[in-house]
Amino acid sequence: MIFSSPLFLFLYFPIVLTLYYVSPLRWRNLVLLIVNLAFYGWGEPVYVLIMFLSIAIDYSHGRIVTRCKAKGNDRGARMAVASSVVFNLLLLGFFKYYNFIASSLAAVGAGFLPVIDSLPLPGGESIPFTLPIGISFYTFQTMSYTIDVYRGDARCQKNIVTFGTFVTLFPQLIAGPIIKYKDLDGQLERREYTFEKFASGVQRFTIGACKKVLLANALGPLWDVYLATPSARLTTLGAWLGIAAFSLQLYFDFSGYSDMAIGLGRMLGFEFLENFNYPYLAKSAGEFWRRWHISLGSWFREYLYFPLGGSRVSRGRMVFNLFVVWAATGIWHGASWNFLIWGLYWFVWITLEKLWLGRVLDKAPAWACHIYGVVIAVVGWAIFAVEDFSAMGPYLAAMFGFGAGALDGDFLYYLRSYLPILAIAAAAATPLGKNLWHALPERTRQAAFPVLMLAGLALTTAYLVDGTYNPFLYFRF
Amino acid sequence: MNKKYAIFITALFCLFTFGFGAALILSPSRDFSDQENRYLAQFRAPTPATLRSGEFMEKFEDYVSDQFPLRDQWIQLKALSERALGKQENNKVYFGTDGQTLFAHFTAPTQEELKQKAGFVNKLGENLDVPVYFSLVPDKSFVLSELLPANAPNVDDGSTIDRVRELCGDLPPDKSRPWSELPPEDAVFQVNFIDLRGALAGTEDSFYRTDHHWTTMGAQRACQALLEGMGLVSQAAGADGLSYQALPYTQVSGSFYGTTYSAAGAGWVDPDSIHAVIPEGGTKGRVTVTGYPEGQPIESSLYHPEKLAVKDKYAYFLGGNQPLCVIENPDAANGKLLVVRDSYSDSLAPFLAEEFREVHLFDLRYNNLSLKQYAADHEIDQVLVLYSAANFTTDQNLFKLGL
Repeated sequence: MIFSSPLFLFLYFPIVLTLYYVSPLRWRNLVLLIVNLAFYGWGEPVYVLIMFLSIAIDYSHGRIVTRCKAKGNDRGARMAVASSVVFNLLLLGFFKYYNFIASSLAAVGAGFLPVIDSLPLPGGESIPFTLPIGISFYTFQTMSYTIDVYRGDARCQKNIVTFGTFVTLFPQLIAGPIIKYKDLDGQLERREYTFEKFASGVQRFTIGACKKVLLANALGPLWDVYLATPSARLTTLGAWLGIAAFSLQLYFDFSGYSDMAIGLGRMLGFEFLENFNYPYLAKSAGEFWRRWHISLGSWFREYLYFPLGGSRVSRGRMVFNLFVVWAATGIWHGASWNFLIWGLYWFVWITLEKLWLGRVLDKAPAWACHIYGVVIAVVGWAIFAVEDFSAMGPYLAAMFGFGAGALDGDFLYYLRSYLPILAIAAAAATPLGKNLWHALPERTRQAAFPVLMLAGLALTTAYLVDGTYNPFLYFRF
Repeated sequence: MNKKYAIFITALFCLFTFGFGAALILSPSRDFSDQENRYLAQFRAPTPATLRSGEFMEKFEDYVSDQFPLRDQWIQLKALSERALGKQENNKVYFGTDGQTLFAHFTAPTQEELKQKAGFVNKLGENLDVPVYFSLVPDKSFVLSELLPANAPNVDDGSTIDRVRELCGDLPPDKSRPWSELPPEDAVFQVNFIDLRGALAGTEDSFYRTDHHWTTMGAQRACQALLEGMGLVSQAAGADGLSYQALPYTQVSGSFYGTTYSAAGAGWVDPDSIHAVIPEGGTKGRVTVTGYPEGQPIESSLYHPEKLAVKDKYAYFLGGNQPLCVIENPDAANGKLLVVRDSYSDSLAPFLAEEFREVHLFDLRYNNLSLKQYAADHEIDQVLVLYSAANFTTDQNLFKLGL
């Protein structure tokens, strides 16, 4: 189930709110756990078992770590942490990377691993072997839990229902933000419920829904057109138009989803950390990653980069550490070579910035740094988005002038059709709208907000309801 | 934010979500959407099997969005918003620059597809001893290209038709093409291509604005071109003084919203009118129609006025798609014509009925009889393969032509 669907917005969520708020406080975590599992099982019921497994393993490992530490058995505690990390990585590795590894090995002539198409179930049935949604997010969350318990940064959770609620919490279950247990700890036991908080959640959710449905979904078709354009017909301006559309689509899709998650969390009494901070304002590669998918960057920093020694090591070792972190960041985004290359692309820029480029940027005028920041992010998205290897090279070549000319009639048509939405999206990627809004007198804002909110919700609903309409049915005859 | 205001915002949000949710559950389900011209998904109670396989969930999401309260209005709101944002299309339909004409967006066929499909028509020509004529109806976007949004990427039916003519030996092939796109060296062309572009070009009323089909006017123009192409004398020319050319157009419906309209959700577009020229039973009143909608012969008619009351009003002509339809007119001057048809032939049929003693409309999609056998059994004098260019390039049943 995804938030931006009529099913979620008009049935699931109203039912959840009702069940949640009629239950007494001490039952609310249990109610949440149950609706979380229903939310997760909706797409692939059998994969709820992975959830149970994940909860059971990480819960017990947390307990073991605590007990070992209480007895002064540091070695045992370390073993338990290692075992939990191995389990989570195996889970992720099997479901996300197994077929990628198997087919990559087969491609170089070492095909000893069979590619799996379906998983057998007891009773002779089988289900298609697909990626369980959100697995990249929740395995990282639960991994951080045992590590934090060992480090003493988090208290061990003794109540399995409470722990299960944390693992499965539906607002952030399938697309983050990646929430560390220690950031949520107190809230799992006691949450504050106020109308002010609920209303601010409504506000945030509406903004997120509009970003996702009205901006990201509207820009998607433009990118689809250019992704499908044969490389022989790809023009330079066309390639830039396409990737600009993708850059904005991805940002509004993902940050819209994070906004919805934060908003839904508030409506249920939670406070999640921010995940985006106007990434396209970044003046360097490093800054981009402090503004983009913040929870992922901080996870890798805290649980991979720092344990490796971070930057307080020799220059060679630091470059190695950066290489490991960025290769991992790349491949985390998907089991495909282009994501690995994309991660290494960022490794190159960030290493260059740490070595000498950063000092150059410090002296450069701000506008030049802004252009630098946006351009490397956008070029990176071309590596990220064109998964087909044979098409990625020609796409990048077209962007840098080695395409079928500068522009063609298609480009003019699409530019004209999409210019208004591109302009709106580009403005919305900056704090301009927010600043203008806060410049208004409070009374005006209070009067305008309900109107804007209803208009936003209505437009969102219109796009969602029409989104499933299949025009091909028309050509039946 | 003070508490009162927060309560107000909370209430507003809950009213919106709970309200539409409750309306969805409480309001009765619609079977059919007139606007979209399709059956809507219904609620199906879950069973253990459909729950486990996930089928229930998938169907339930379809149900929620198909039965969503005010669905038609939401769809129109989206189309309006797309237009307000400067978009020149919605759901693969272009908004014409006159604000009233809608163009379906088709994808270009590959050269291989064209060659294969033209090959099937050539095979039919070889198989039959009677003349085989072949014609393609260009899309509205070819005839009214000046109304398409500037630079709109679309299939150029003109070049599709030129290519098909080359592949049928009607035009000398462009030798600069790779051999895989050229007709085979030893090809014998037994098919006569009739080009309708000249007859339709420059006309404004040959196509419905809200539908992909041609209008009665367009069909009448095409009929003249087809007869000329076959070298036959037309009744309409007034040889016996009873020309239907002089008959007035009668508007039978002023509220036709076609398929392109439905796909686009373009609520600002005015409805089309449907016209008829030839009276029921033909100008001499002796035309009879035998339809085979369910495979068995039944007495039918040129027009089906009851269809004007439903959404798909184009079915007014001959009643809609069927595997076979035979029209007889003892007063006509020419012999027996077999038409391998798509839906464009239905509004053409009243004109053909004036010209031919028998018109057999044969639909490959629902009819698996051998064309060769059928033509021999019914002593057919000439065969016409008539498709819209878009249908010709997408239809998967054309191989039956060569059987």
